Amino acid sequence: MLKTPNNIPKHRFYILVSIVFFLNFILLWRFFQLQVLNFDFYEQRAKSNYIRATSIPSSRGLILDRHKKIIVDNYPTYILYSIGAEVKDKNKNFEIINEVTGLSLEQLNKNHNNYYRNKFIPTRLAKDLNITQLSRLEEQKNELNGIIYKQYPERIYSSNIRASHILGYLKQVDKNIITNDEEHNYEFDDLVGWSGIEKKYEKTLRGSKGVSYFQVDAFGRESGRIDGTNDILPAPGSDIVTTIDLDLQKFIENKLDRLKGVVIVSNPESGEILAMISSPDYDPSLFRGFVSNKDWKSLIENTDRPLLNRATNGTYPPGSIFKMVVAIELLERNLIDVNWQVLCNGEYEFFESTHKCTGSHGYVNLNDAMTMSCNIFFYEAVQKIRLDNLAKRSKALFHGLPTGIDLPNEMKGRVPDRAYMNKLYGTDGWSTGALLNISIGQGEVLVTPVQMIAYINTIATYGNYNPIYIVKNEDRSAISTSISKLTWKKINNYMRNVIIDQNGTGRLSDPRISNLSIFGKTGTAENPHGEPHAWFIGYSDNLKQKNSVVVLIENGGSGGKIASPLARDIFRFLNNKNKEKS
Amino acid sequence: MIDFYLSKIKSSPLGILWIVFSLILIGLISLNSISVIDSQSSSGAFKKQLIFIIPSLILMLGSLLLSKKFIHERIYYIYIFSIAFVSFPFLGNEVQGTYRWIDLGLPFNIQPSESVKWIAIIALARFLSDRDKHITNFSTIIYSLPLLLIPSIIVFNQPDLGTASVLLSPIIPMLYWAGAKPYHLFLIIAPFLSILSASNVLIFTVWIAIMALVIFALRKHGWHGIAIFFINIFLGLIFPLVWNSLRDYQKNRVLTFINPELDPLGAGYQIIQSKTALGSGGLWGKGWGEGTQTQLKFLPVQESDFIVSVIGEELGFVALFVMIFLFSIFMYRILSLSYNASDKFSGLILIGISSIFLSHIFVNCAMVSGMMPVKGLPLPFISYGGSFLISCFIMVGLILNFGREQSY
Repeated sequence: MLKTPNNIPKHRFYILVSIVFFLNFILLWRFFQLQVLNFDFYEQRAKSNYIRATSIPSSRGLILDRHKKIIVDNYPTYILYSIGAEVKDKNKNFEIINEVTGLSLEQLNKNHNNYYRNKFIPTRLAKDLNITQLSRLEEQKNELNGIIYKQYPERIYSSNIRASHILGYLKQVDKNIITNDEEHNYEFDDLVGWSGIEKKYEKTLRGSKGVSYFQVDAFGRESGRIDGTNDILPAPGSDIVTTIDLDLQKFIENKLDRLKGVVIVSNPESGEILAMISSPDYDPSLFRGFVSNKDWKSLIENTDRPLLNRATNGTYPPGSIFKMVVAIELLERNLIDVNWQVLCNGEYEFFESTHKCTGSHGYVNLNDAMTMSCNIFFYEAVQKIRLDNLAKRSKALFHGLPTGIDLPNEMKGRVPDRAYMNKLYGTDGWSTGALLNISIGQGEVLVTPVQMIAYINTIATYGNYNPIYIVKNEDRSAISTSISKLTWKKINNYMRNVIIDQNGTGRLSDPRISNLSIFGKTGTAENPHGEPHAWFIGYSDNLKQKNSVVVLIENGGSGGKIASPLARDIFRFLNNKNKEKS
Repeated sequence: MIDFYLSKIKSSPLGILWIVFSLILIGLISLNSISVIDSQSSSGAFKKQLIFIIPSLILMLGSLLLSKKFIHERIYYIYIFSIAFVSFPFLGNEVQGTYRWIDLGLPFNIQPSESVKWIAIIALARFLSDRDKHITNFSTIIYSLPLLLIPSIIVFNQPDLGTASVLLSPIIPMLYWAGAKPYHLFLIIAPFLSILSASNVLIFTVWIAIMALVIFALRKHGWHGIAIFFINIFLGLIFPLVWNSLRDYQKNRVLTFINPELDPLGAGYQIIQSKTALGSGGLWGKGWGEGTQTQLKFLPVQESDFIVSVIGEELGFVALFVMIFLFSIFMYRILSLSYNASDKFSGLILIGISSIFLSHIFVNCAMVSGMMPVKGLPLPFISYGGSFLISCFIMVGLILNFGREQSY
């Protein structure tokens, strides 16, 4: 009925009108709140919304050898990313990339799935693109929506040495590093020094990143420069000059070849490490840029543990090379006379156990015992020594203490004292018998090869040594020990006899060059892993310069027969090299 | 004949057209700003909107000139036809995952849910005005509900939650205007509030107290009042149980349907961008064509649902103030026309249309300013969109027609 009268009470009209005005007032208040009260906040947010700051990577410092020859260099590669939110046709993009780079569509899809985090964060599609491929992609930029690239300085190992353990490698930062290190502003996909010099000198090598500001639209397309913001240029990292001698390093790497073990060469007076090889090692160029999962796995799962730096992180029983420590303790405390003799008939009864010697040496004094490496002399002599004193002496000679070499995560080895033995075996669980083993560098004593180079350097310098190091820097001064010069002289004499005496165990380490004197000591360290480890530590002296050498061949057998010849070749090489120079 | 129509037009309350055209102008200014720099697709928004004004005006004229009597007589048939029309898209193809559109081979698609809005209102107006004497009976109210519920449920299934809720918005205002007892209105709303408040113990307790007070104050404390009270409590208690018996994915589906912001990279992103655009506009705006959020395409669907952010960013709070002011005057005018209408049928139609407009304005503005979840409702006269613009102008035509004092 169109005739129904419209007799509405006035209050209904008022109520509806107030509802309308009330709701509109709410809207106005909300706009006022956003636009006037919170203006500053949103203005800031709008700015950061359209200004995209991208970091410009700084080029990493180079690593050079002692003659400033380049060991580790950089070269630029490009990494391709896709930004999900901006991609229009993923398949089309992939087809173009496939055509240009040769990467299969499957691989691209796989990378995309692996690295995809969300649609606004760049997803890595391909790495190691060269400039030619890049320019071809650039030509087709209009069809590639949401594809961006970043330049990436990768490491390149141009010299023909490996030196993997000294140099270390780079690896992508993990979450831990990003959250703990604010100073460097690491971002995902950044490479960071993960071991060796790359890690130890990360700060020096890295430099600092630059920042570049773009105005972008919501699709991430660059839409111009922004007035009033200046790019910050990256500061390249500083180069690092090492003490390594490329030629020597290479020579030894070739010599060591398939053997497992460690060789370290140094200058005892300056503490410089001239060469350091831990074998087996790995090809450092595996770690150019991003290491593939497959390569990484095969390195980790290798039972020979090529990633382990045996020089700093391998701990071994020192065997007879420990005898200098015992001898120094005996001499310094006047516990024996140099003419004091022990009869060696090849076996030594101590309570119920029999300890064997390397041979039947007859009556031997300290000199003979060192030269022929007679154990029984030391079994007898060590009983005059207090274990804690021996432990202290060992530590003064770098056994069981980190050397402070500038490589990361150095192990400290082990030197037993009373407290340690009590803890291990109980107060009554061990006796002087344990000392017998310790006296010949067996039992509880464990050392690292770098400790042994520091040890031989201390001996070679008569206790006025420089701490060992790999990267050159200025402030260094020699440290002296409290051991008397007379003792040093005796010890060095014994070590000379090891080489030149007809019964000396280290005869094979002498290259027989006039004016070149070799001093040394061999060790044949029994161990639970098979054949004994073969040790040689020693140094050469041509009156102008000394060079110290540590050779360790894992399960190599006799130190005199296996380790010494290697040392001889190194001494000869060094001598020839010095001659060339002069 | 022409004189007759002319006098019909002249006697219409043409004053509201100035408000409408001012709003249209604001819309066109911001649409133009979007399309000036934009060389991308969808840049045609400004031009298309301009072109759509022509059929809009023609259809407005049509709905103005139709005789009230004719509409009054045939509205139930038209209603049944339009229900069929709304169901139509379900026979066709999905467009962007929904069944909102009909493709008739024209250069644009038709959105039938637009027309059902005002047709359902007219049908309800007829139903209520016909039963003016019985409006105080609760049964009359119950019988009137399906008129809006049916189209709303169909639209809800398209799925279009925004339009579905807009369709329900006239119920309470129209019943109230028609003279329904406030207690009856309370009975309709109570179950929804019971269910909604059930999610929070404190709110639910407060709600129960309010309910008890209302029932007591209106002197309904017989068995009847007690029954109402406990049915509501029961509803509130049973709902969480039903909810908890759903599986997680079912819950999520419902939750993201109600509140798309739960998907942070989808609608959540839109709200953040929209608020940033609005807030960074400040009091005076960044200037026409200078909005960084707008021009750099950070704003999604900026030409339709988020046009308010564009206005807010480029022209500032001042422009939004003017816009809301115009809308308020517009609403006020419709309400006074309704109060002074020649008959109850006309008055109810005007109330229904004003509810539709008000819910569009409020939901849209509340959405872009982050007060409500994203619903995809356009802003009358300002948002880009052909079907909606035409629908708005038809409603303006109806306002002009039924707001006239003479009953032609």
